[in-house]
Amino acid sequence: MKFCKIFFIYILIAYPITAKASEASKWLKTEIDKIIIAYQSENLPNENRFLMIEQTINNNFAGTGIAKFVAGKSWNNASKETKTEYIKLFKRHLALNIASMMQGYSNQNYDLVNSRFDEKNKVTLIDMDIFSETGKIQVTWRVKKSKERFFVIDLLVADISLVVTKRSEFNSMLKVVNYDLAELNAKLSKQNQSSYQKIIN
Amino acid sequence: MNKLLQILLSLIIISLSPNLLGAAADEVKTDSDDFETTIVEDEIYDPIEGINRAVFGFNNVADRVILEPVAKGYKKLPTPIQSGLGNFIKNLKLPLVAVNQLLQGQGKNAVESTGRFFVNSTIGIFGLIDVADNIGLEQKEEDFGQTLATWGVGDGFYVVLPLFGPSNLRDTAGMVMTMMTDPVNAYATSQGEAWAIPVRTAVNAVDQRSKIIDEVNALRDNSVDYYAAVRSSYYQNRKAAIMNTDDDVLTPLPLISIEFE
Repeated sequence: MKFCKIFFIYILIAYPITAKASEASKWLKTEIDKIIIAYQSENLPNENRFLMIEQTINNNFAGTGIAKFVAGKSWNNASKETKTEYIKLFKRHLALNIASMMQGYSNQNYDLVNSRFDEKNKVTLIDMDIFSETGKIQVTWRVKKSKERFFVIDLLVADISLVVTKRSEFNSMLKVVNYDLAELNAKLSKQNQSSYQKIIN
Repeated sequence: MNKLLQILLSLIIISLSPNLLGAAADEVKTDSDDFETTIVEDEIYDPIEGINRAVFGFNNVADRVILEPVAKGYKKLPTPIQSGLGNFIKNLKLPLVAVNQLLQGQGKNAVESTGRFFVNSTIGIFGLIDVADNIGLEQKEEDFGQTLATWGVGDGFYVVLPLFGPSNLRDTAGMVMTMMTDPVNAYATSQGEAWAIPVRTAVNAVDQRSKIIDEVNALRDNSVDYYAAVRSSYYQNRKAAIMNTDDDVLTPLPLISIEFE
């Protein structure tokens, strides 16, 4: 009887955590499959393929929040117009980065192997193994729930965080221009054009 | 009374369960700390950035002209040849991996690595087939740089080595120690076959590079500052290797706010 009580209490505590992680995994799988389908549709022109992927990424990533985090201390001093322009450019930059990375994985099998809910930070971590002929690579998705839906807040490939890397990279750039976000926008715009050309050709 | 207490306890647990607390996660607010530049990039001490950028530029050209095309060619080889070469190279590293695991106090891992070496070198035909993996002896990497870090030696400053790529003072010292103490290299030298050492290094570089062709290209094609992106990636990767813990524990969790427009 005592065992039953302990078991009951354990279920009450553990079930919601497991259920949350599993719900997030199901959602993530659907969204990853959308991107993979876009890559595998051979008749789709490259421009349209990228637009489909960009839309999926923009709908599912916490783009604005990530953009602000990456901007670091340059954010506070920027004008409203500069911030709006930066967020628009950053979202495209993020989509180009992820699309470019996923392009290499589009013909490989993947498996969502493990998911866990970080109660302290209210973040679900989902591990994905991507298999190639000679091995596998692990990608970890960090997912947060808001307004009854999920958003990806970071992506780690072999322990390297996309968001942390972007923040470090942008900070290095911003240091040179005295943390002027408008200057970064000009560079980001150029970079986006160059990345876009590479991805559609 | 006892029953009442139990019901009360159950109610408290239910009310504290994340299902009900989940609603709080929706009220994500922007935190001023989100925008402060503190933890991540300031940790990377790069006082010779100018020189490093020049060497990085040289390495990047060497990669584009030599290493990447060779790695792409290597990727076209039949899978068993690629796997065989990769396994063979990995197996040769195992004696030093075991030594470093011992030096870091990881006795169990050292025994496993020694077991891996013997199983793969014998049943696995000189390490060409990774038999040990199938019997639960997992590959774990440890080097002198990691050992020095475990002993409390700091990173030193960031340095980009010609051809070898990103490193820091501690890891460079570790690399030199590896070169000097590697039993396989010592054996090759004693047998008058020192040519095998650079060949081994080159094959290892090609094998490693072939595994990250897409990742490197994605980073190179989409970075506003490729140098800074590689520097950050190197530090995150090394930190993960040194700590031997889950990514969620060691990689700083950005406090990303979710905002709707």
